[in-house]
Order: sequence, then C-alpha cells, then structure tokens
Amino acid sequence: MRDRLSEALKAQDVEYADIRLEDKTNAWVNFRGPDLDTIGSARAVGGIVRALYKGGWGYATFNDLADLPKRVREACQTAKLIGSDTTYFAPSEPVVDVVKAKLVKDFRQIPLAEKKALTEEYNKIILGHHKSIQTSSVRYSDNFKQIWFASSEGTYIEEEVPDVNLMTAAIAREGDIVQNGFETGGGIDGYQSVEGFQDKARNAAQKAVELLAAPPVNGGKYTVITDQLLTGVFTHEAFGHLSESDFVYENPRMQELMQLGKRFGVEGLNIIDDGSLLDGLGTHRYDYEGVPTRKNYLIKDGILVGRLHSRVTAAKMGELVTGNARAVHFQHPPIVRMTNTYIDQGKVAFEDMIKGIKLGVYAHRAIGGETAMEMFTFSAAYGYMIRDGQIAELVRDVVLTGNVFETLMNIDQIGNDLEWQPNGPGGCGKNDQQPLRVGIGGPHIRIQNCVVGGQQ
Amino acid sequence: MIVQQIVKIALQRAQAVQAIMLTQETSAVDFENDRLKSAETSQRTQIDIKVIVDGKVGVSSTTDPQDIEGVVSRALEAAEFGSQAHFEMPDAQSLEPVKIFDPTLLPLEKPEMIRMGKQMMDMVKTYNPEILAGASVNKTVYKVEYANSRGVDYSADHTEFNVGTGGQLVRGTDILFAGHSVGQKKRLVDTEEIATQVIEYFRMAEQIAPIESGEMPVIFTPRGLIALLLSLGLAVDGKSVYLGASPLGDKLGQQIASPSLTILDDPFIEYGPRTSAFDNEGVARKVTPLIEKGVLRNFIYDLDTAGRAGVKPTGHGSTRNLTNLVINPGNVPYETMLRNTTQGLLVNDFLGLGQGNPINGEFSVNVFLGYKIENGKLVGRVKDVMLAGNAFDALKDITAISKEREWVSGPWAWFAGLMPYIQVGKLSVTAK
Repeated sequence: MRDRLSEALKAQDVEYADIRLEDKTNAWVNFRGPDLDTIGSARAVGGIVRALYKGGWGYATFNDLADLPKRVREACQTAKLIGSDTTYFAPSEPVVDVVKAKLVKDFRQIPLAEKKALTEEYNKIILGHHKSIQTSSVRYSDNFKQIWFASSEGTYIEEEVPDVNLMTAAIAREGDIVQNGFETGGGIDGYQSVEGFQDKARNAAQKAVELLAAPPVNGGKYTVITDQLLTGVFTHEAFGHLSESDFVYENPRMQELMQLGKRFGVEGLNIIDDGSLLDGLGTHRYDYEGVPTRKNYLIKDGILVGRLHSRVTAAKMGELVTGNARAVHFQHPPIVRMTNTYIDQGKVAFEDMIKGIKLGVYAHRAIGGETAMEMFTFSAAYGYMIRDGQIAELVRDVVLTGNVFETLMNIDQIGNDLEWQPNGPGGCGKNDQQPLRVGIGGPHIRIQNCVVGGQQ
Repeated sequence: MIVQQIVKIALQRAQAVQAIMLTQETSAVDFENDRLKSAETSQRTQIDIKVIVDGKVGVSSTTDPQDIEGVVSRALEAAEFGSQAHFEMPDAQSLEPVKIFDPTLLPLEKPEMIRMGKQMMDMVKTYNPEILAGASVNKTVYKVEYANSRGVDYSADHTEFNVGTGGQLVRGTDILFAGHSVGQKKRLVDTEEIATQVIEYFRMAEQIAPIESGEMPVIFTPRGLIALLLSLGLAVDGKSVYLGASPLGDKLGQQIASPSLTILDDPFIEYGPRTSAFDNEGVARKVTPLIEKGVLRNFIYDLDTAGRAGVKPTGHGSTRNLTNLVINPGNVPYETMLRNTTQGLLVNDFLGLGQGNPINGEFSVNVFLGYKIENGKLVGRVKDVMLAGNAFDALKDITAISKEREWVSGPWAWFAGLMPYIQVGKLSVTAK
C-alpha cells in the first residue's frame, strides 16, 4: 500500500498533499422491546486527498479507490482554484510507523450468533426487571477500521482502530409518565469489555423505575455537585471546545478572550487533553496529520496555559503542534478535536464537599451536552436534592446551563476521585463530524450559583 | 443495473431480497473567517441490501460495487440469526410524479459557487465589518436505484442545492452566532434574502435585553418550532407506538392540540428538501396528515413495524423519517402577533434540545438565539435564559398562528418543511 500511495502522490503539484484511506467493517445487534430489531454487518471503504496551495485547501473524497492519481489531481486543481494567500502550515517531523490493535478477545472472531445471544441476555434482564418496564433498547456494535495515511513529506502510517460498544436502556412507564434508565459499556481492547454487563443492565432498569416516582427538579440557582461522569461532560462541552484553536486562530476578539495567562478558575483547577494516554477512548499515537499526540495542559492551577492545534492553527498562532487534528471518517478532512479531556483530580473527599450545603443538587451522569462558545447546557440523567449536607430525594429533568467563564470561576472544590466515562455508542460532534470517539473524565466537583433549568 | 444483479444472486439462497444503491457526486465551497478556505469534490457509492431467509431478516451494506458477493453473503449470514419478518417485499406501485431534478444545476461550477458565497458574505460584512463571516454553497447530484424480488425496479435522479451564510460576533465575553441557509432540489435561490435574514438576526441582537423569570407568552419562529415538533416527531413514530413508549399511542382520533393546528407530512412538494416518490423499502410515498384541526390522525410506519402492528406502511422508509412537514397558515399577520404581546419572548434557536426526555414532551432548553418582546416590539436579545415546558401541553395552548410561512431545512435531518410563526400562551422562562 505504501508504494501505491507514494506513487499516487507523485501526481501532486501543490505545496503539500496527503492521502488517507480507510477500510471499515462493522457488525451490530439491536433489540427493541422483546424483539430483535436489526442484525447485520457492513463494510465501508474510501479515502480523502487533501491538497494545500497558497493557504487554500482542495479536498477530494471518494469510495472508489481505483484511480488514486486522478483523485490527487482533482484535489490539487481545487486547491489552486481556492488558494490566493499565504500558506500557514506548522512543521512536523515525517514519521513511518505501523500501529496495531491490541485485542484481548478479538470480536471479529466471535460469531454473530454469540453477539446476538449476549445482547439478548441483557435485553431479557431489563424487560423482566419490573412490571413498570414498558420496553427496552439494547444495542451492541463493533467496528474495526484499518487506516493508511501518506503525505508528500514522506510520512507513512498504518493504524488499526478497533471499537466495541454496548448500550442498555430501559423505558419505564406509568400512565403518561415515561422515564429512561441507561448504562453504556465497551472499549478499544476487545469483546471482553462488553461481557459481564448483567448488573449494569439491571441498574439501568432500576433507575428508570425509580425515576417514575421522582418529581422534576425545581428550576433555580443552586450549589451543584456533579458526579465524575457529568464533570467530564462539563469539561468537554463547556471548556474543551473553547480550547480548539480553529475557533480562535483567525478571530482577534476570541484571542483576547482566550489569552494565555488569564485566570479561569481556582488555584487547584487543572484541565488536560491527552491523546497519548494509555488506553483512553480518544487515544491515538498520531493524529490524522501524522503529528504525534501528547499531554497538553489547557488550564494549570486555574491559569489558561494552552490550546489544541492542527498544523494550520499552530502555524497561524505561532504555537507548537499538539496532535489534535482528527477526522470522524474518510468523507471529512481532519479538524481540531479533543482526545481524552479531563479535570485532573483534586484533594477534596466527597463527604467534605457535600457537608455544609443547605440546599443543592447532586447531578448524575450526562444524557448529552451542547455548547455555543460561552453558553453551554448539559443534561443530567437524574439528580438528588442535597438538604442540610445530606443526599435527599431523587429528582428528574436536571438540566444545567450557564456561561462557561462564570461557571469555571464558580467551581470552588475539586474531588480526589477521578474517573473516566465508559465507552458507548455516540461521541462528540462538530461541523457535521459525528460521532468521534473521545475520552471524558473528571472527579466530583462543586459549582456555586449554578442555574438549573426546569419549571418554577 | 447492480441492484438487479444483487437481487438475482441473493435469490439463489433467499426467498426475498431488496437492494438499494446510491451514487452521488458533490461539489462544495466553504468560506470561514471572512476567507475562502476550501473546496471539495466528493464521490459516493452506497449499497444496502435486505434478505429474508426462512422467514428471517438479514441486512448488510457496502460502499464497494465490486463487493457484491461479500455484501450478499454477509446479509445471508445475518439472516440466520435475524428477526422474524413481519412483512413481504412490496409489489410495484404507481408512483407519484415528483419534481426532484433540476438540470440547470448540472453546469454550475465552483467559480460561480464561490461568487455566490462571497456575495452573501460581503453583504453581512457590509452591515457590520466586526462580524467574522462564513458561507457555504453545496451542490449534490445523486441517483437512487431500488430493486426487489417481486420484480420492482425504481430509479430516481435527484439534485440538491444548499446555500447558507452566517457569522460570529464577539463583544467582551458575549459571543453571538447567527446563520441562515436554504436547502432545496432546485438552483433558483435568493442569496440576497439569505444574507438579509442573517443581518436581521444580528440587528435584532444589537441590544441585550434583561428579562425576569416567570411565565410568559412565547412566539416560536418557523425554525424555532423544532422545540415543539421534536417531541411530536418522536411520539408519532409507529415503532414507539407499537412498543407502548409513545404518550400519543392511544390518542388517535383525539384532540391533542389546538383546533387551529393542522400538520401534514407532504413528500410531493416541488423541489422540496425531502421530496421523493418512493422510500428505501420500495414503498410509494404519500401525503400523511399528522394533526388535522388539532386531532391526531396518523402514526408513521415502516414495512416491518406496520406488519407487527397490523397496519399499512406509510412510505417513510426503514428508519421512519418524516419528509416535508407542512403546517397550515393561520389568520394573524406576524406583525400583529408581535404587536399584541405586552411581555414575552421570540425564540429561534436553542442549545440542549433533545436532551432530557423528549418523547414525553418535556423540554428544558437554553435559548441560544431569542429576543425579548416588550409592548409589542422586539427590544433585544435575551441571554442565559432557559425555556421549559411540555411540548404537548404547548400545542394545546397555541394562541396564534401567523399567515406568513417560511421554509426550514435542517439543522436536524428530519426537520424540514413549510412553517408559520406560532404563539404559545404561557411557558416557563428562567433567567439568571
């Protein structure tokens, strides 16, 4: 393949060009209610050529791999139509490497029948859990992607990207009230990561049933403690996206706002994005421009110290590359993305954090999150009221919203109990590129004066 | 044709087969941060097949037309452990003639697309040079071919044209995004109108208007209606109804919304963004009334769910996606609707939609782009405001529907159509 790609790249007549080819197979088993919904497998093959000329990019994406030199010429012609400016493109040492997947139990060797039996078992656990369980959704999916990347600078990388994920969701109903409970699992190290999920499936069903009797939270301003999973989503959504330099690099006002050295939070606040982490869901040895990933501090001791770059944004801002150009698949060029993003662990034990809160909300897990730069909103799966320093009644429809700058400053305590969110279907979305697998983590944190949506 | 070839091969072992193939060419130009950034040429092929073996269903797909044997054998393997088929492949039906192909789009080349994008962006910049502007123009030509083991054989050529502009304005720690785009199946598009709409969003946001928490009337723009229609869309999904998960499941024929509300799903609108004559299961599309004068009329069903539920498929494909939604216009001019509001909100865009428990109707969203109405006038943009309520209750509490309607296409894949402005009597607003 290496020869084929370098041969094709000979057709380029611009400043820089690269080719990424992918061959992905996946299999899935979905149950909805007592019935098998779909079972199947698919294969997707394709590629993208990028060409850079006078600051303009030409892309050619394709499923048909027959004539690669033609695609290279197409991308180059397009780039020449666009480029009329200065090229900014940070240097990166060319590398030649092969990254193999490490699978404990290779899911490609597991017959579809076995995957179905496992999924069905979890589905039965949910449906049989309680009379209020109305229906279920249990989804198993695995992907194995082979990537080949070559650039006109001599970089050549082969990478295998495996992924197995599981979603077990329970839907409980009483009259007009419908509530969900869910647990997700899986990983990048093989089929065993979705085995032994029986207790989790049971928890999902139990939570849906409990939520039927829970009142919606009253909207208002509270002291909020977020559990580790919600802390992770908050960090990713509210702050992480602001660190992606493509929002900043050509925007003088945003640069003022995101000026390095500015205080963003309390002394003990450390936010990190690390694509080189061992076994993270967003871990890669190289990003999709062939730049090695690394540990990047974004906030250190409350001070903004870094941001995430592609080769273009790094050059334009005169900063170092960080290895954060990622693409969801071959129909898209890489853009600046997070890898494994987390608030590093602090010193406060959970018991000390909750002590002294007269009225607050303890928000658990995330159903989703969305951000528009300074404004963010994220939904907890459920929450508990905190009354006089104690965890009190279960509440539903807990949605947190706010301004990221104020909210970060309002974090006054950081827990000593960092955890990472388990794998699952879905992932991060940006500019139509979804779902991208990312690692999301953090400890318990306490936020003062946090707006919780809901009816008053 | 490849689809017929697949059907023939698969029939050696399967009792029923369908194959559908998409071949697509896209050309796109993209402006970001006031500059022409990139352009793209893209070629796509996608083949999806479904087989029934011994009464059980298996599916598979591939992007490689050379991989016919592979895709067939994977589908056959899946069918061994597949779900029971509750349907048969449809026979040939007479298809509605639809306008989905505009030959004048074919000669459109990138330099002209660049010119269109630049024109829109320049208009936005002329209004306010501080806005960091962007634009995109995207042309797609595609062919859909469908064949099944009952001898059905459909083919349709489509064109698609998506044109949009937008920008970002930063003032202190205040960041405002606004954009507008039009997606349709024909070339004729008013770029000036698109840019004017974006300028209007920015103009109305020049002032920030403080607002107090409380219950108040809320006007949803055509685009803002997604907040109410998302829940409706999920609740009329025949699969949720069949599984007992829809709160509307037992309300067919009942009054579920204000008598002023009529919503149709219409796949036949000329050059509409979701117009087509047949779905991906070979079912002929048809107009489906969802709500007529407030009365719930239909759920939407794919072949298999329809078979399980003992009803007819509605032509919304295997994933049951709505096509072009059409809401009948009301009798109040939009200006009058505004003028009659002493204190309220106009909402256009949200953050956090679809989180929480949307099928129940409950929503609690951050108003990302919304404006305060005071004494009949828009007085400025609201910030850090949550809007919460129940979509089904809100549909009952509709107090006015505008005469004017606008096309909406996206950002949610299924949310496209012709919609008015709708005022809801009372919703809960939480301000910071």
